[in-house]
Amino acid sequence: MSKEKIGTWEIGEIKLPFSEAFKISLENIRKRFVRAAITTASIVLGIAFMVSILLMAQIQQVARGTPETIKAYQYWLLFISLLVSGVGITNSMLIAVAERYKEIGTMKCLGALDRHVLTFFLLESMIIGSVGGIMGYVIGLIAGVVYGYTQFRPEDLIGALTSPLGTFASLTIPAAVTLFLLSVVLAVVLTMAASLYPAYYAAKLNPAEALRYEV
Amino acid sequence: MGMRYEYTVETEDLAKYYYMGKFVVKALDGVNVKIRRGEYVSIMGPSGSGKTTLFNMIGGLDRPTRGKVYIDEVDISKLDAYELAWLRCRKIGYIFQTFNLIPVLTALENVMLPMIFAGVPREERIKKATELLQKVGLGDRLSHKPTELSGGQQQRVAIARALANDPAIVLADEPTANLDLHTGLEIINLLRTLNKEKGVTIVTATHDLKMIDVSDRIIYLRDGKVQRIETRSEVAVEYEG
Repeated sequence: MSKEKIGTWEIGEIKLPFSEAFKISLENIRKRFVRAAITTASIVLGIAFMVSILLMAQIQQVARGTPETIKAYQYWLLFISLLVSGVGITNSMLIAVAERYKEIGTMKCLGALDRHVLTFFLLESMIIGSVGGIMGYVIGLIAGVVYGYTQFRPEDLIGALTSPLGTFASLTIPAAVTLFLLSVVLAVVLTMAASLYPAYYAAKLNPAEALRYEV
Repeated sequence: MGMRYEYTVETEDLAKYYYMGKFVVKALDGVNVKIRRGEYVSIMGPSGSGKTTLFNMIGGLDRPTRGKVYIDEVDISKLDAYELAWLRCRKIGYIFQTFNLIPVLTALENVMLPMIFAGVPREERIKKATELLQKVGLGDRLSHKPTELSGGQQQRVAIARALANDPAIVLADEPTANLDLHTGLEIINLLRTLNKEKGVTIVTATHDLKMIDVSDRIIYLRDGKVQRIETRSEVAVEYEG
């Protein structure tokens, strides 16, 4: 960017390298671990539920050879559970923003732009989303495997995990991998979408008002 | 730097009104002050007199209802959001009553933060932040988090952070209000020393009477207006001599 001159000033660039932003966001999660853990739990439950339902249907399909075993109401349940996760995350992130009014005001005093504040909160939610997605996948997988192990033969279970997942049959990758990718992508997208409003709200705070706020 | 401008801060008929339903609170009502480069100015007045509002206006943290603020002869109401962020980053250092360190960062990282925004390379950031922390007497506390530091130590970190990008002005809002008498005095003396050594203009909003002894001038605010301005003549003589 070219330097702009105002009076005797040369307005230079304001920067925030990704590595620094990532480090600060990670520290924020570590420092406020309990809140982050509660937010993560919300996404873990939603994703675990999704993985277990899809996996159970997959096992039934492989064992019985019947094509469609997920019923409409199960999709509806899935949708509702993910929506509840999303609302939980939005609520939790709004509290995280309120807790940090003064910190946001201070950041702006030190030179942070609105988009830097946005970056901090969205990075945090991205990290929480990835961790929640992976944990949800593992828990959902365990639940599905336990169900399959008690109800069906081991070879059906292995077959279900290694054959392509019903709706993603054209991808020809094992269901276990498809479910993993689906879990992480969905968890990150959902967490970031749910954090968008709180993060935007934080970014738009007037520094004078943010500083006045006593926690 | 050089002596380019006579006044680092200048306000012109500065006013800030808050509208609360039918009531209008005139936090500032026509304030004209001029603060010279390198001056140490205290703004005194009871709580509710408009000190913090004036602090916010000079610091580019809030927009006035009426009037103008000039920093280095630039009318800051004309700046857009990006330019204001640059002003806060490069031209002004802020010190707060409640220290306002970033709790998740160490002392060194807190001092480095404004330099990250200013685009200073990493090695240079570490070098300068270390030097500043040594200067304020915290050379052995670089990797401590704010919760591991006393109030006085936290305020020293905040002072080092305020000086990180060599600002033209350091604005301090009640910097000693949360400190005991002795620690408060240490902070005041440190500010005065830095003011003399670095030639940085210091503006403090305060009702701490200890501040009077070190100030070049004292601006008394009352009900959003300048009541009177006192000059410490003996200090002025010392400077001219």
